[in-house]
Amino acid sequence: MNPESLIQTLQGVGPMLASGLGTTLYVTVLSLVIAMVLGILVCLMHLSHLKVLRGIAKFYIWIIRGTPMLVQAFYVYFALPQLFQLLGATEFRVSVLTASILTLTLNAGAYISEIFRGSIEAVPKGQMEASRSLGVSYATSMRKIILPQAVRICLPSLVNQCIITLKDSTILYAIGLGEIMYQARIYVGRTMESFATYTWVAVVFLLITSVLMLVSRTVEKRMRA
Amino acid sequence: MDDKTTKGATTPAGAPATGDKAGQPKIRITGLCKSFGDNEVLSGIDLDVEPGEVVCVIGPSGSGKSTMLRCINRLEEPTSGDIVIDGESICAPGADVDRIRRHLGMVFQQFNLFPHYSVRENLTYAPVQLKLMGQAEADKVAMDLLARVGMADKADAMPRSLSGGQQQRVAIARALAMQPDIMLFDEPTSALDPEMVHEVLDVMRELADDGMTMVIVTHEMGFAHDVADRVIFIDGGVIVEQGDPEQVMNHPRNERTKSFLSKVL
Repeated sequence: MNPESLIQTLQGVGPMLASGLGTTLYVTVLSLVIAMVLGILVCLMHLSHLKVLRGIAKFYIWIIRGTPMLVQAFYVYFALPQLFQLLGATEFRVSVLTASILTLTLNAGAYISEIFRGSIEAVPKGQMEASRSLGVSYATSMRKIILPQAVRICLPSLVNQCIITLKDSTILYAIGLGEIMYQARIYVGRTMESFATYTWVAVVFLLITSVLMLVSRTVEKRMRA
Repeated sequence: MDDKTTKGATTPAGAPATGDKAGQPKIRITGLCKSFGDNEVLSGIDLDVEPGEVVCVIGPSGSGKSTMLRCINRLEEPTSGDIVIDGESICAPGADVDRIRRHLGMVFQQFNLFPHYSVRENLTYAPVQLKLMGQAEADKVAMDLLARVGMADKADAMPRSLSGGQQQRVAIARALAMQPDIMLFDEPTSALDPEMVHEVLDVMRELADDGMTMVIVTHEMGFAHDVADRVIFIDGGVIVEQGDPEQVMNHPRNERTKSFLSKVL
């Protein structure tokens, strides 16, 4: 194993990794955006006074936190379509891309909702009391006093969740999503260049996650200043 | 609100008739009980606060004095009993709590300034959000109030850059920005370094001299003695003794009052 072979492998696998990275980023970014919206909704349900809504939110989070993402992906791609077909929707199909985005969204949504909830609850109780004691409604107090502070608190954990979701997207190669790991495995199957190929895969991830961590640290520092 | 028609009909003897609703107490608490689970913190409090009166509430920690204060603007939900502010019950089903709270300024032990707003924005937030004033008018009112508590030069500072005493003076000004006619103080100097206590007490003393109706939960016995029109000693969730400061603090009749005062004075 020498540096030249690493470079040679990069020349061979580079275009494939680039195309795989495109898919990885597309699926991850799209899922994260939807997951943020889902996270807000589930968080609001969790904080609601209605027992039913709280129950639904807790059940959803329980399922996602308690099962591996690989199982979740297989469930969305294989198990649910079969269930629908057995129930009579014989033409029901779900594409790999849809199943991938759905899995990643459902997975990240649960964790993000918990991050939001934790951040809202981390704002001192006295803040809501001070605002309410001035005669301001609960909704306005939430919007103007609690949420702006919660956003600052949640940012580091939110960036961390983005990093986790990006890395976890590699699991989706198992249902056949043409993301970076899938492309790498095809290349290794053809050339047996395991070491060089997976080294480059790791390097690509390290580059992206390092940038994200740097952004997170900068934002955090600016928030504290 | 039919106070005009019943005016004078229920005047308690000797009540100072300074308010616009003459003869009616600013605050009337009747049979107030509050339990947290099995723990009964207040066991039947009856209290009238007259317009312009300064009432200091003293008592051992855990006696329920802060809980009583927090029930007055319904930050705590009373278990039973009634609280009437200016003739209007804040506990009645369907009571417009937000509107009644505008008349009740509250100052907390931990200041609770909004950390993401500047000092001035802390003062203008509620009047502007509630559409009582435009931003320009609210700014002007805020500057006047900040000058009054000696904080005008810090109008654009962020709360975290201020000392505890400065934060508490801003918190008082923030409550005043809603132009309340009653001020509630929940141990306003307990979280302060000793050298900062007096600057907050001075502001409160001026407020009392201006005729504000005030209920103050405090451990500052000297302040209570000097400023209060009436001192109330609460222990075990009931009012044990009350009267003018000289009498309650220097000639207490009740054994529990005597024992408490001997420990703190």
